[in-house]
Amino acid sequence: MNIYEVLLQQVINGIALGMMYALLALGFTMVYGIIELINFAHFSVFMSGTFIGLTVLQLMGFATARPSGGLALVGSLILVFLVTMTATGLLGVLIERICLRPLRGVSGTAPMITTIGVAFILINIALLTWGPQAQRFPQLLPNWRWEVGKADVTFKQLMLCATGLILMLALNYLVKKTALGKAMRATAQDADAAQMMGVDVDRIIMLTFFIGSALAGAGSLFFGFYYGFTGYYIGYTTGLRAFTSAVLGGIGNIPGAVFGGLLIGLIQSLGGQLLEVKWTDVIIFSILILVMVFRPTGLFGMQTPQKA
Amino acid sequence: MRLRAVVSSVALLLALGLVLGLAGSGVAQQKVLKIGMSLPVTGADADGADAIAKGAQMAIDEINAKGGVAGYKLEGVLYDSATPAAGQYDPAQAATNYKKFIADAMVLAAVGPVMSGEGKAISPIISEADFATITPSSTNPDITDPKFKSQYRPKGKAVYFRNVTTDAYQGPNMANYLFHQVKVKSVYVLDDGGAFGVGIADSFERRAKELGIKVLGRDRLDPKEADYKTILTKIKGLNPDGLYYGGVMQAAAKLAPQSFEIMPKVVKAGSDGVYDLSWPQQSGKEAIEGWYCSQASPELVTDPKLEAWVTKFKTTMKREPTNYSITAYNAVLVIADATDRLVKAKKPVNRSNLRDAIQATKLTSIQGAIAYDENGDITNRTVSIYQWQDAKLKPLGAAPQK
Repeated sequence: MNIYEVLLQQVINGIALGMMYALLALGFTMVYGIIELINFAHFSVFMSGTFIGLTVLQLMGFATARPSGGLALVGSLILVFLVTMTATGLLGVLIERICLRPLRGVSGTAPMITTIGVAFILINIALLTWGPQAQRFPQLLPNWRWEVGKADVTFKQLMLCATGLILMLALNYLVKKTALGKAMRATAQDADAAQMMGVDVDRIIMLTFFIGSALAGAGSLFFGFYYGFTGYYIGYTTGLRAFTSAVLGGIGNIPGAVFGGLLIGLIQSLGGQLLEVKWTDVIIFSILILVMVFRPTGLFGMQTPQKA
Repeated sequence: MRLRAVVSSVALLLALGLVLGLAGSGVAQQKVLKIGMSLPVTGADADGADAIAKGAQMAIDEINAKGGVAGYKLEGVLYDSATPAAGQYDPAQAATNYKKFIADAMVLAAVGPVMSGEGKAISPIISEADFATITPSSTNPDITDPKFKSQYRPKGKAVYFRNVTTDAYQGPNMANYLFHQVKVKSVYVLDDGGAFGVGIADSFERRAKELGIKVLGRDRLDPKEADYKTILTKIKGLNPDGLYYGGVMQAAAKLAPQSFEIMPKVVKAGSDGVYDLSWPQQSGKEAIEGWYCSQASPELVTDPKLEAWVTKFKTTMKREPTNYSITAYNAVLVIADATDRLVKAKKPVNRSNLRDAIQATKLTSIQGAIAYDENGDITNRTVSIYQWQDAKLKPLGAAPQK
C-alpha cells in the first residue's frame, strides 16, 4: 500500500466511524431539539441495547452459528432489530416516566444531572449482570468486501452509512412534516399552550423518548455487528464523541448531527494517520473548542425551540 | 408511631450485634494475622486477578488446616482494586485499599498488587508504614529500581517484594525471542497507556533496536476506545514483520480481532498482560491464533512436578490455575515462613520485623528457590514464552537472555 492508498483507506474508515457516531448523535440531538434536555443516559441506553441485542441473538441460537439461508438471515435480522429497538425504546420511556417526569418544570441542571445518575445505574447493572469483560457479538452480517484501489470497503461499512442517512432523512421528515412532529415542536415551544390546543404533552414527550431510544437501539446493534464485541463501558467514549458530534453540527439539528459525526470520524482517522493516535482526543476537542469560540451555535446552527 | 418502630428495631439489631460480637470474641482463642489482598477482581483483568486471589486463598486454607503458623491463624482480607469508572484496575483505588490495610492493626503484610500502575501508587504509602507487600505479577522495574528510591520507597528499605522478575527482563527477552527464533526484522510497537504497558513497550523497543530490529513506529491505544482501525491501517501501510503490544486485556480484547481482520499475516506478540485464559472467549480463538506472550516466571502450570498441586487447585478452587496463581500461593508461604522465623527468634511479630524477615527469605518452593535482592526483586530471572494455539497457551520454553 502506498501512502495514497493508506489515506483512501483511512477516509473509508473515518466515514464508517463517523456514521457510528452519527447514529448515536441523532437520537440524542432529537431529544434535545424537542425538550431541550441534554440526556446523558442516552449513551447508556445505547450500551444496554448492545446487551439486549446480544441476549436476543443468544436466545435465537446465533451465539456461534449463522442462519443458513439469505432469507432466514434477513428474517432474523428484522426480528433482532425489532425486539432491540422496542426494548431500548421502552427503557427510554421508563427513564422518562420514573426519573424525569417528576422533575418536569424544575429549572436549572437538575434533570440533566439526573440523566447522569441514570447513566451510572445502567452501567453498573450491565457490569453486574454481564461481568466486566468484553463480550463477543455474533457475526450475522456477511463479511463481503470490495477493493477500491488497494483499499477495502466492507458490506458492513456500506450498510452503516446507508442506515445513518436513511434514519436522518426519516427523522427529519417526522419532525418537520408530520402531525406528530408538529405536536412535538408545539410542545417544545410552549407546553401549556400546546396542551390547551389539545396536544397530550405527556404522550408527546414519551414518544420523543421512545423514538430517540429506539434509534440508540439500532445504533447499538450496528456497533455490535461492526466491532464484534460489546462491554459495559462502550457508551462512555463512543457517547462522548457522539455528544461532541451533535454539538459540532449544532445541537438539535438533525442533519447537523450526521455531518458532525462524519467530521469527527474523519478527524479521528486522518488525525491518527498524519499525527499519532494517542493525540486523537486532543485533536477532536481542540477543534470543538475552536468551533465553539467562533461559531457557538455549531457548524450548521442550533435548532432549539423559540420559547414564547 | 412508625418512627418508634424503626428506632426500636434498630436498637434490637444493635443489641443483637453486640451479643454476637461478644460471643465471637469469647470463642477466638487463637491469634489472627491478617494478610491484605488488593486485587482487580472486577474489570477487564478480572480473570487473571481471580486466578491470583484463589492461589493466595489456597495457601491460606492449607496453612490454617494444619493449625496455622506459629500460633497464628491466617486470614485474607480481599479488597477490589478495580473501579467501574476505570473498567479495569484503578491505581487510586489500590492506594485507598492499602491505606485501609495500614489502618487495620491486624493486617501485617499483603499479597499484591497485580498491576504495576497500582504498584507505583501504593509503594510510597507502604514504605512510610514499613509494610511489606509481595506482588505475584507486577513487573514494572521502576518500582524497585534504586534510581527511583526517593519516589517509591522514601524510607529506604525495600517494601515491594516480587515473586516474578521485572520487565527489565520480560520485554527485552521477548525481543530476543522474536529476533532469534521468529526472525522478525521490523516491528511496530503499541502500548495501552498504563504504567505497565508503557514500561514494557519501552524496554522491548530499546532491546529491539540494540538487536538491529527496525522499529517502524510507536503509538498508544486508548483502552476505552472501540475502534483501532485507524492505527492498524497506518501500521499495515508500513508493512512490518511484527507487532508488539505492551499492555493488558481491555485494549487487547479489541486489538486482536481488528488486527486479525486488517493484517492477518503479521507476527503479533504481547506480554503477560495477554496471558489471560479468558482471551479466546473475549476476542475469538481465530483472532488470537499465533499471538506470542510471556510470563515473568518459569513455566509452572504444565511442569510435571507440579501436577499434584495443579490438580488440587482445580478441585478446591474450581478453575484453571495460572503461573501467577502459583506466585501468589508462594507469596502467602513467604509471609507464613517469615512469621514462623520471627516467632522462633522470639521477636515481636509486627510489620517492621515481618518486613525484615521477608527480606531475609530463603525458601524452597514449588516455583524454585525464592530469595530477594536488596531492592525486593526475586533473584531468579527466568522469562517464559508462549504461543496461543487453538485457544490454548502452548509453552515454548524460556526466552533467550541475550
